Amino acid sequence: MSKPKVAFFDFAGCEGDQLQIANLEERILDIASHVEIVSFREVKTGHSDDYEIAFVEGSITRYEDEERIKEIRSRAKILIALGACATIGGINCLKNFLNEQEYKNMVYGPWARYYSTYAARPVSAVVPVDGEIHGCPIDKEEFVEVVKSLLLGKKYTPPDYPVCVECKKAGNICQFERGRLCLGIITRAGCGGVCVSRGSVCWGCRGPAPSANLDAAREVMDEHGFSWVEVEDRLRLYLGHFLKFN
Amino acid sequence: MSNYIVYLEQLEGLFAGWQEKYKLFVPQEKEGFYFLEEYSPEAEISFDYDLLYNPPKSFIFPPREDLIEFDLKTYKSKPLFTVSPQILFGLHPYDIKALNQLDQVMDMGSVDVNYRQRRDNTIIMGLTPLRVCPEAFWGSVNAFNVDFGFDLFWTKIGPATFLVEVGSKKGEELLFVNGRVDKATSAEREVARRKKQEIVSLVQKQNRLKYSWEEVPRVLEKSFDSFLWAEKSRKCLACGSCNLICPTCYCFDILDEVDDKLNKGKRYRTWDGCMLESFAKIAGGHNFRGRAAERYRHRYFRKGKYIYDMLGELGCVGCGRCVRVCTARIANPLEVFNVLWEALSYER
Repeated sequence: MSKPKVAFFDFAGCEGDQLQIANLEERILDIASHVEIVSFREVKTGHSDDYEIAFVEGSITRYEDEERIKEIRSRAKILIALGACATIGGINCLKNFLNEQEYKNMVYGPWARYYSTYAARPVSAVVPVDGEIHGCPIDKEEFVEVVKSLLLGKKYTPPDYPVCVECKKAGNICQFERGRLCLGIITRAGCGGVCVSRGSVCWGCRGPAPSANLDAAREVMDEHGFSWVEVEDRLRLYLGHFLKFN
Repeated sequence: MSNYIVYLEQLEGLFAGWQEKYKLFVPQEKEGFYFLEEYSPEAEISFDYDLLYNPPKSFIFPPREDLIEFDLKTYKSKPLFTVSPQILFGLHPYDIKALNQLDQVMDMGSVDVNYRQRRDNTIIMGLTPLRVCPEAFWGSVNAFNVDFGFDLFWTKIGPATFLVEVGSKKGEELLFVNGRVDKATSAEREVARRKKQEIVSLVQKQNRLKYSWEEVPRVLEKSFDSFLWAEKSRKCLACGSCNLICPTCYCFDILDEVDDKLNKGKRYRTWDGCMLESFAKIAGGHNFRGRAAERYRHRYFRKGKYIYDMLGELGCVGCGRCVRVCTARIANPLEVFNVLWEALSYER
């Protein structure tokens, strides 16, 4: 059996998810021994348009992006969205709540009118996606898990329950008991509750769990004394795409 | 069984003696909550804790446990056991009752060998509670006293005096690890009895089931079509916290993982919960309890009826952990059992 050819691509994002893969260090050699990496600009030089599996990082923010992602889609047998920007639109969607002129001026200054841009969106809003690796940044263990599943011909299913499950397994004190606003109650698990375990709160980077009850969560956060502004502000950080379009 | 007297200053010596053979976990405070943490001589033991934040089941039925190891090349597998002897010191009666119940369900039918292995390597030391957490209602669900399931049971009968009941031969041996200790007099036994009575009346005063716990299964039976399930579950976040934090919940999922070279792998189990949306989902995508109200009802039926039908006792020990952990504040079994009962008495 010939080794599957793998390529990495990036759109609007910080390439931090590819960095997470590079951070696997020597483990990457074991993983890479099962595949042929034809394009991965953070790790190696060269590029080829002959690939079967495409990992795509970043969100779609321009008309030009659509053409490029459609071309990648047409070449790849399997397309996997990598990281929050690609899977849920991520923090790029913050701009969707601003006036277009305002954010363009903010970013490009006097050259704003030379740049085309539109509301940020996840890859799946433009082309069909076969798999998603969530998180900002992604969990490298989960990336390895996905690759191994692909190689073994298994379908990788990310957890469909909220982060609370993993916090309970980790034995964490609930952040609501400390009076802190935490989005773990609606966010898809899979990170192992890492932020809460390290003393922070959940920011929602893995997107809403399929079973997330956003209305109930808003009511719960209200009952726990958090203002509408605080709650919406927190939700917009990562979940903007779901607030605006759903 | 016999009763002995141990003084506070003897404890350090006893603990040191036990630690030679066992990992010793004692209740300790962290950020205003209490946890069973490993003992060290510097540790401050919270004899007066109100509730352990996490259920003690995690010491015997850990959140993740490796079951077998397999080889993808030779298709051979072998079972995995990673067990070390441990002592859980300071469990309240309701938590011991919960462990007793786990023992029964895990041993029923074919014995859960991984659970049994850990359980056999665990020494349980009970402690009479000195305080009650505001959510607790163990006084109402027959969980204020246990006759078995402990090796030693400690009751603080004076500022620096404990009465220790012996529950097993092993427990007695541990108590004598530094030589024999004094036998308790009948007066001291009486003090311990009153201390227990005192705390039971306290918990019964604060939260009370309005009827006898034996009636709960019958109340639920008549409430299958109640409006309460839909009404309450409207706010359910399907986070499963009430399941995972429950000292008697024992459901788990089994998963496989393989190493990076794709040569060897492990099969492990991890906690699962019936409040999670995909818990009752089967091949083909059908979900036996697809609606939140069905899942919500199921949990109360597990606690109040199904376990009772199986074992003759409630699946709830009234510890109050689910009440505390549910951010939506809909997980209180006492409240639900009371409301359903009241609704039925109006109908009559």
